Amino acid sequence: MVVSEIPPINITARNTRIIPFEYEYYEPRSLKEVLELLDRYGDQARILAGGTDLLVKMKARLVEPRVVINVKKIDGLRYIVEDGEQVRIGALTRLRDVENSELVKKYIPALHDAVKSMGSIQIRNMATIGGNLCNASPAADTAPPLLVHNAKVVLSSVGGDRVLPLAEFFKGPGLTMLKPNELLREIIVEKSIAGSSAFKKVSRVAVDLAIASAAVYVEVEDGFIRNARIALGSVAPKPLRAVKTESLLRGLRIDSREVLNALKTIDEEISPITDVRSTAEYRRYASKVLVLDALEVAYARLKGGVHG
Amino acid sequence: MDAWDKALGRAMFTEDYYVDYLLANALFIKQVLSPMPHARIKKIDASRALSISGVHGVFTASSIPGENQVGYAIPDQPLIAEGKVRYAGELVALVAASDFDKAIRGAEEVVVDYEPLPALLDPLEAMERRDVLVHEERGSNIAFQTRVRKGNVEEGFSKAHVVVENEYRLHHQEHAYLETEAALAIPESEGRVTVIGALQYPHLGQKIVSRVLGVPMSKVKIVAPYIGGGFGGKDDEGPLTCAKAALVAYLTGRPAFILYSREDSIRVHPKREAAVIRYKSGVDAGGKLTAIEVTIIHDTGAYANRGPFILWRATMHASGPYEVPNAKVDGYAVYTNKVYQGSFRGFGNLSIQFAVERQMDLLAEKLGLDPVEFRLRNILREGSYTLTSQLLDHSVGVGEALKRVAEKADWWRKRREIEEFNKSSERFKRGIGVAVAWHGISTSRAVPDWSNAYVKVELDGSVTVYTGIVEMGQGSPTSSHVQIVSEILGVPVDKVKVVFATTEAPDSGATHASRGTGIGGLGVLVAAAKIRERLASLAGRVLGVDPGELEFKDGRVYSRRDPSKSISWRDLVREAYARGVEVSATGYYYLPKGRFDESTGQGFAYPAYSYIVLVTEVEVDTRTGLVRVLRVYPGLASGKIINPKQVEGQIEGAIAQAIGYTLMEYLYFDEYGRVLNANFTDYVIPTPKDIPEIEKPVYVEDKFRHGAFGAKGVGEMALIPGPASIANAVAHALGVNITSTPLTPWRLLEYIKRSPRG
Repeated sequence: MVVSEIPPINITARNTRIIPFEYEYYEPRSLKEVLELLDRYGDQARILAGGTDLLVKMKARLVEPRVVINVKKIDGLRYIVEDGEQVRIGALTRLRDVENSELVKKYIPALHDAVKSMGSIQIRNMATIGGNLCNASPAADTAPPLLVHNAKVVLSSVGGDRVLPLAEFFKGPGLTMLKPNELLREIIVEKSIAGSSAFKKVSRVAVDLAIASAAVYVEVEDGFIRNARIALGSVAPKPLRAVKTESLLRGLRIDSREVLNALKTIDEEISPITDVRSTAEYRRYASKVLVLDALEVAYARLKGGVHG
Repeated sequence: MDAWDKALGRAMFTEDYYVDYLLANALFIKQVLSPMPHARIKKIDASRALSISGVHGVFTASSIPGENQVGYAIPDQPLIAEGKVRYAGELVALVAASDFDKAIRGAEEVVVDYEPLPALLDPLEAMERRDVLVHEERGSNIAFQTRVRKGNVEEGFSKAHVVVENEYRLHHQEHAYLETEAALAIPESEGRVTVIGALQYPHLGQKIVSRVLGVPMSKVKIVAPYIGGGFGGKDDEGPLTCAKAALVAYLTGRPAFILYSREDSIRVHPKREAAVIRYKSGVDAGGKLTAIEVTIIHDTGAYANRGPFILWRATMHASGPYEVPNAKVDGYAVYTNKVYQGSFRGFGNLSIQFAVERQMDLLAEKLGLDPVEFRLRNILREGSYTLTSQLLDHSVGVGEALKRVAEKADWWRKRREIEEFNKSSERFKRGIGVAVAWHGISTSRAVPDWSNAYVKVELDGSVTVYTGIVEMGQGSPTSSHVQIVSEILGVPVDKVKVVFATTEAPDSGATHASRGTGIGGLGVLVAAAKIRERLASLAGRVLGVDPGELEFKDGRVYSRRDPSKSISWRDLVREAYARGVEVSATGYYYLPKGRFDESTGQGFAYPAYSYIVLVTEVEVDTRTGLVRVLRVYPGLASGKIINPKQVEGQIEGAIAQAIGYTLMEYLYFDEYGRVLNANFTDYVIPTPKDIPEIEKPVYVEDKFRHGAFGAKGVGEMALIPGPASIANAVAHALGVNITSTPLTPWRLLEYIKRSPRG
């Protein structure tokens, strides 16, 4: 093989132990200040929340923002509260808070499963739920559970708030519907009251990004699926709902062979790739296994009221 | 000698150290690496880089004042690429600047004009090609060949009742040490240079730096501080790291610091060998091996590095720890345009023991014998002849270790229970597997190996030891060397200080090949024993007793027969200083070697072997293809265990690396031979949650005549049969024949699909 033109690869040669460029750094004390700064700097600025994604990218100079706005010091965006049939989660809530929340465990069990599987405790103490969503990795583990719980995101700017279904928030790897002057402020999640949910993933080691992941929300009546929602991670440019498969599941006996048949439709809904972490074929195959496993756990929770 | 330096103001007085070291005078080095797997370098244009303010210099092959040659076994490797590059990641230039940021920017602005050449990535293809050569001057892509011819293989196979033949494929492994490569070089007066660097053999660093700079070795001082993990990687890359920093310091007259980024580290430094192994073995109706025929092909990558030693190790260990009367083994180290192979804990041996131990399980299965029972029928014992027809006259505890580990693991009962469990469990299958390995101690064949150290007793009775052995987390100099001195001189451990990893000590050999304590400690032992002998004779005179009856213990020297005849260690040392008895000594020990015929691969291979047994239990999720290692039972026959805590640490760490290698780790090459997962997001190693219960090891202390207190070597041991042990357990769980690594979930599902049961 003679190679004259070699395409570039994602590995950067620039990585050091330090952040090898200069940037302006702000530590606003209120949401208002954050939004004003964002309005001023727009896409020249990056929001620093937990830093577990941003700092790694800056160190390797995959992003070189001119302005870094540290939002960690502002009060009032770190909460998990019950609000009727919903749970509201502040964007700066740490993954560890989510993991330890009884509300989440009870009403959004899939999210509890997901955060438990993310990184190490040290990472979970730093990383925020808003950061995980805004980083918009196809492998973001908080996304599938929130998708099956019909989550909405509240986006704030100096002009006011707008609310978007999470399913519409992701555009592609690293890309979201956030405008340059907007901040993700809150996530509104539907409680599982009539049903239950679960999340499953496969990864290479215990502390690792998902090779593939799946969340399932299901309502069952007399052994028949009344309603099911499925979301998948790492098998498309963004986390996505498998709506076609969901509709096929409706009305099926939960422990029947037809469920297995219906899951085959997942193939049509995903577009996995082969990369350093796994193969496309494996991701296709594993997605179905994970959905089935998550379905089983969610159903068990529904029957037994088990949340563990 | 010093007149010129003093006249020119180059000689260092105290304040000069302050100026040089404490003020921001150091240069930072960034490497310019080749993006091409194989290309001629037409031109290197550094002008743009040099125009960046703060960039102090760009150094290429032509900057080297000495010899641009760093090949350890074959002179095929430049420090900085000269004429052409042979792998993506090869060093082309060093950029030195006043800070990291500028060095990085400078490196990005060095423009290299390459003329691409066809790249060879597959060793099997490279072996056959004559039209494309990785090293034109060598005339072939086969870098090195080895062979063993023992007995008559045809006759051996004709007596075989069962024959098993397979092709095995083993993959590369990255060391993933926490600390990446680093070195700080400080230019001194009189053309001397001191390098503080992360390397496993300071004296080898001294040799390489001296060669590259063209200065005598005596003018190069190397010191390795604590090292954040080596595993062999810093045995190969460490001296080169030092040479890179030393070159810049020598040419600029300023302290120079190099620190590899993780990405550079993974792309630049050598890896565990990837291997293709064709293995045929025959066994008679009585369950005794009759013959083996083995071909070993190592993908040596761009440079031979230690490839010949790695290949010899694989070749001479190709029988496993078993008696084999007839053998034909052929080894080939083949150049390709990929990152080159090098030292990694148990080099050459892990891959061949994988093949051996898979074969042993398959033979046992065909014979209807239990795997442990079958191994015991063939295991080496005292009086056995090895693959190279060397008589094993002592220190062969492997059979006993195997029996005891099997008993401890409750092997026979568990194997039955697991088979019962699997009949009723559809999704999760369990397996239990065994693997045994041997590992030659010291250098192979007649390659010289020695130990040396310098011990001096201070006026107050405390003891200072100087050794070249390094501390990289294993504890040889800081624990076992201290213990050895304390034991021999009867001095409390807190009075013994070991100055380690320095060329100020006599050449003690490298800290590799499991030799830090067993062999490295020998020099310390010999030196301490010399001092003890002199002091015993003095104490005998002082106390009026025969020196032979003296005991050195707890800071006292006393007669065993009459403990009231006693003198404190401190007083004895003061006496020695007063009466002209020398209380310092070097301890040199040259390991016995024998004759070895390289044309037949017969003769003296190693002074002794260390042995290890691992029994591993696994559970396989047949739907996701994920393997969980549940429990590991280790057993060692490594001679005297000097420090059990230290040994347990070595075993546990090695098992973690074995699990990583077998199930999780792999280098992902693209079609240009570039490593695409050169970071820790994409190259993953096991986390504490992935490590199973590791049982307390079984020790068979089969003492070795030429090791400190009878110790052989432990460091590498548990990694060597680790992958085989896991693969045998997975094969037991699934009833499939596993012939390649890594056992990623997707590969495992392929195996399950092909299995007769699946």
